Amino acid sequence: MSSESAPTSNAELDKQAPPSFGHAMHKLFEFDPSYVNLNHGSYGSSPKPVRVACDKLNTRIEANPDKFLRIECIHHWIEARTRVAKLIGADVDECVLVNNTLHGISTILRNFEWHEGDIIIETTTTYNAVSRAIKYLGDIPPYPQVSIFNLHWQEHIRQTRKVVTVVDAIAANPGVRLPWKEMVAICRGAGVWSVVDAAHSIGQEVDINLSEAKPDFWISTCHKWLFAKRSCAVLYVPKRNQHVIKSCIPTPRNYCSPRDKDYNGPQSFVNLFESLDFRQWLGGEHKINKYTHNLAIAGGKYLASLLGTSVMDPDGDLTLNMVNVELPIPGDIKYSNEINNLLRTTLLIEWNVYAIHYYHNGKWWTRCSVQIWNEISDFEVLADAFKDACQKVVKFARQ
Amino acid sequence: MTDMKTPSSSELAPSTLTTDVELDKRTPPSFGHAMHKLFEFDPSYTNLNHGSYGSLPMPVRVACEKLSAHIEANPDRFVRIECIHHWNEARTRVAKLIGAETDECVLVNNTSHGIATVLRNFEWNEGDIIIGTTTTYGAVSRAIRYLCDTPQHPQVSTFNLTFPASHAEILENWREHVRLVTSEGGDLKQTRKVVAVIDAIVSNPGARLPWKEMVGVCKDAGVWSVVDAAHSIGQEVDINLSEAKPDFWVSNCHKWLFAKRGCAVLYVPKRNHHVIKSPIPTPHNYYSPEDEHYDGPQEFVKLFEWTGTIDYVPLLSINAALDFRQWLGGEHKINEYTHNLAIAGGKHLASLLGTRVMDPDGDLTLNMVNVELPIPGDIKYSDEVNALLIKTLLVEWNTYAAHYYHNGKWWTRCSAQVWNEISDFEVLADALRDVCQKVVKFAKQ
Repeated sequence: MSSESAPTSNAELDKQAPPSFGHAMHKLFEFDPSYVNLNHGSYGSSPKPVRVACDKLNTRIEANPDKFLRIECIHHWIEARTRVAKLIGADVDECVLVNNTLHGISTILRNFEWHEGDIIIETTTTYNAVSRAIKYLGDIPPYPQVSIFNLHWQEHIRQTRKVVTVVDAIAANPGVRLPWKEMVAICRGAGVWSVVDAAHSIGQEVDINLSEAKPDFWISTCHKWLFAKRSCAVLYVPKRNQHVIKSCIPTPRNYCSPRDKDYNGPQSFVNLFESLDFRQWLGGEHKINKYTHNLAIAGGKYLASLLGTSVMDPDGDLTLNMVNVELPIPGDIKYSNEINNLLRTTLLIEWNVYAIHYYHNGKWWTRCSVQIWNEISDFEVLADAFKDACQKVVKFARQ
Repeated sequence: MTDMKTPSSSELAPSTLTTDVELDKRTPPSFGHAMHKLFEFDPSYTNLNHGSYGSLPMPVRVACEKLSAHIEANPDRFVRIECIHHWNEARTRVAKLIGAETDECVLVNNTSHGIATVLRNFEWNEGDIIIGTTTTYGAVSRAIRYLCDTPQHPQVSTFNLTFPASHAEILENWREHVRLVTSEGGDLKQTRKVVAVIDAIVSNPGARLPWKEMVGVCKDAGVWSVVDAAHSIGQEVDINLSEAKPDFWVSNCHKWLFAKRGCAVLYVPKRNHHVIKSPIPTPHNYYSPEDEHYDGPQEFVKLFEWTGTIDYVPLLSINAALDFRQWLGGEHKINEYTHNLAIAGGKHLASLLGTRVMDPDGDLTLNMVNVELPIPGDIKYSDEVNALLIKTLLVEWNTYAAHYYHNGKWWTRCSAQVWNEISDFEVLADALRDVCQKVVKFAKQ
């Protein structure tokens, strides 16, 4: 039974040409007009047409929740999965939607049956909550080991039951692109499971092509760079690995237990489209990311020159739409919650501009997210704010 | 709602998520169809199934949209600085309603998630037993099954609950079941644990259980009690958890409390905080015994403050929902209307269908009433019959109440809400007569 057609993005959209990239795009987003947003990467933002489409869908659901949830919803869900699978080069039935990347990672890691001797490999830049999730699994029976990736990680694989590696496609702090496809291939060659935390990938990394890259598991947040409404992520599990996922979290009512009388094998493994329509209207993935990438490179250089520091990645290998620039804070001033709060409050409340800040490898950095509404002048605003905030930090730390 | 441009005296003070300000100046409509102006259903839809997914009052929806707009104006500012205050306010208000301390209450996505969090935090060992019942909610029952399917393979023990049954009967049987379970086990009895999942109000049928007494039985027997109270908050008045003392308790705020879908409160008394080592997903502030400067586990409340980026609006809509319910006259006044209508409506529906109510004495009935359907009991449940019922009711007749097969009979469960009147049961009766005939015809072919 075909569903009624899903509410489309604002009908007027189709009749208009998109605004130019840059500040003209602000009319399609709903930020406080005086807020300079260089931190799209943390929580994502949805354009107005997507928000309008979501409001329409909400209205429809509230008009008759039972009719929507019992009859219509599944068709929308399938359509979203179909479109996102096409974007990432996967089969529809290898993609399901979950709340967010953390939930997806948890689902995978908690579905493995751990044994003593198993190892979970993370890195020093694994997203903090993912790192904690791994740590937690190591703390409970049967206590798989947790190992931190270093250059000699082949040594870890000597005498173990299984090794599971969590690989970032794009790390969060710093915001850097990793050679994840090659890392996944190395895992495959060594008999190691690869769980790719691709939170930042979809909508930022083009030509992902999972059926070629063949990770064992891959999760990406759709409410970040893809512009879907917060919160939403796609969990990719190739058919060959679907047997690993016995239950989602929470367990659903259609879970098939081996102990069920009529057990006939495990249950088969299977909001979004509005944002895909919008991105198509803007010109598509390559066009969008060309603008944002070029601005990230230019903006990073510019910010570094204004701050009198340097970009982390002058060659640009690590940089997609997030650029990391050193902050003028001496490296001997270590991270503390007070300093973090001071930076955050100064930027967000006093200066009404934001990009995240973190301590890494003996230095302080900012990670700027470049989006379609940004222009080079935004980096000037940020520079002024950081000059002030960093002076405050140094003063605080030296007292 | 605090205007962003004129902040309150303290930058960080919680801005109460209030309903549309005009509401405060008006008196509420009467209970019954006049209430429809405050809800946003399809005007021709007769909704007798609030219990499944909840319904969003218009003033709460408006407050949610305002909050969404505020969040989108500056997501970082909201998530990193302001959100926690709204969250604390919601927890404080809901804790007061259920007779708990603020720091014994955290907010999660829905009851299934809350139950999963509790059950997956227990460290299961061979010999452990999880007690479920024959009327445990489907997904919870499967969650128990799943845990038993995975190492260390605790066992499941199923308590038989068939309705109609009186509270006295249920309690007597429960006592006996718990006694049997705890007396078995041989050597493992000393070290093993027994965890019971008890519904406060069952889904199918929609029946209130003597859960407080059942919890008391557990306590006396050294059995952990996990109360699935999905339907409780906003329907059951005077819950008073500090008196009832369950070990864990979870309730959906987007059902009878009128919060936005999906939102639930997870209650864990202080004495049991040590059991919950991690929410799902694990947050960035989890403390591991393996950490260099480990100084004891993270505080319960702090663990749940942030567990991955979500849409915070449903969780925070509790504030607007509570405001709305207060404006309508408060918990007792609301539930007096809905309860009386459930009783009267059930009787009326049964007489129109030529059948009977499940619970003539009313012990089991709060706002959900169960009425037998005119479908012979030898026609068993099947997905086809279920789909036929759903489509005929929702698409052809534009009305709905849940339907299920239980104890050899077919039943409907009607949810009586503030917008319902007795005539709604007449609309439902016409629809049910038609669909039941269709079911019989389908089954007999």
